[in-house]
Amino acid sequence: MLDTIFFYVFALLTIGGAIATITRRSAMHSALSLIVSLLGVAGLYLLQKAEFLFAVQIVLYIGGIMVLFLFVIMLVNLDQAAKERQFNRQWLLGLVASVLVGAQMVWMLNSAGVLSLPAAVPAPAATGPGNIEALADLLFREYLLPFEVASLLLLVAIVGSVMMAKKTS
Amino acid sequence: MPEGYLPIFVFMVVALLFPVVAIVAAKLVRPSSPFATKLEAYECGIKAASSSRGRYTVRFYIVAILFVIFDVETIFLYPWAVRYQSLGWFGVAEVTVFLVILVVGYVWAYKKGALQWV
Amino acid sequence: MPPIPLPTAVPLTYYLILSAILFALGVAGFLFRKSLITVFMSIELMLNAVNLTFVTFSYQHKQVDGHLFTFFVMVVAAAEAAVGLAIILTVFKNRGTLAVDEIDSLKL
Repeated sequence: MLDTIFFYVFALLTIGGAIATITRRSAMHSALSLIVSLLGVAGLYLLQKAEFLFAVQIVLYIGGIMVLFLFVIMLVNLDQAAKERQFNRQWLLGLVASVLVGAQMVWMLNSAGVLSLPAAVPAPAATGPGNIEALADLLFREYLLPFEVASLLLLVAIVGSVMMAKKTS
Repeated sequence: MPEGYLPIFVFMVVALLFPVVAIVAAKLVRPSSPFATKLEAYECGIKAASSSRGRYTVRFYIVAILFVIFDVETIFLYPWAVRYQSLGWFGVAEVTVFLVILVVGYVWAYKKGALQWV
Repeated sequence: MPPIPLPTAVPLTYYLILSAILFALGVAGFLFRKSLITVFMSIELMLNAVNLTFVTFSYQHKQVDGHLFTFFVMVVAAAEAAVGLAIILTVFKNRGTLAVDEIDSLKL
């Protein structure tokens, strides 16, 4: 019962934040709405026993990536742009395309028989060793290569972004 | 399941209610007589030079980028710390390789002067 | 004390439909917003929709592989945001605008 209430609260936060993100005039308001949406998704992770991802969503997404977004919005002057036309010239085409994408996904889920699945039963594993232990074992044993490659990706990100931002200054 | 998170939820509700109640109560109690002089800088305070919504320097952005990247690094270390005992030297070796690659990036950024506040 | 095994009242389907709606909203924002920054934020929305699906299926199958995929998606999103936003800064410096309509040098 409590679960259902929390699901609807978080779903409302997620969808409401997403709608505000794509419709707000000011980029700053969009970014703040996106933070609300990400918080909603974090809550949904928690409902599905993904505690580690909940923490990562808050620390990395909201505390890191969104701060970057806010910095860039403060770096570029968008006061002028906020007064102009907000949508690009192909907005009608875009609307049709996005409705089609949504309909296609629901149709696909339906034809795969996913829509008639029963309610998920809580995983019994979560009472034993927690979510993070299982995740750590998987990450450091089976997914060893992706883990090491991730460090290369981060190295490339440091070099690329510092080079580009240095040139701008 | 949210059952275990009930204390956190109660804490959140209290934290949300406190400022709302405080602001609303203050609004109801205090007298209201707004005039422009009240908004100026007090006594010998300096008058604001420009809008605080102006543009920032790009230096803040470089620091923010490095923060995000090393944030990710720290998050990767967390599961290792949880499973440190059972992973043993194998885990240490893995994490060392991971850290060495990132330290290369750190040293590069340092040499490049990205961390300098000119 | 072992917790009482309550079946969740929220079916898996709801999560999937929510994630489909979130993805469609991301696509909509991507296709019809003009500012490059908002377009980028729509990409984050789509990534989150996919992450939610991963976690949902992971929960259903009682495995943590999906959590790990989501984690890597987040790591890639962080790297992508760092580089992408630096590119946006450079574009703004060179063109003086972030309107996707006006950044069209590649157009014939």
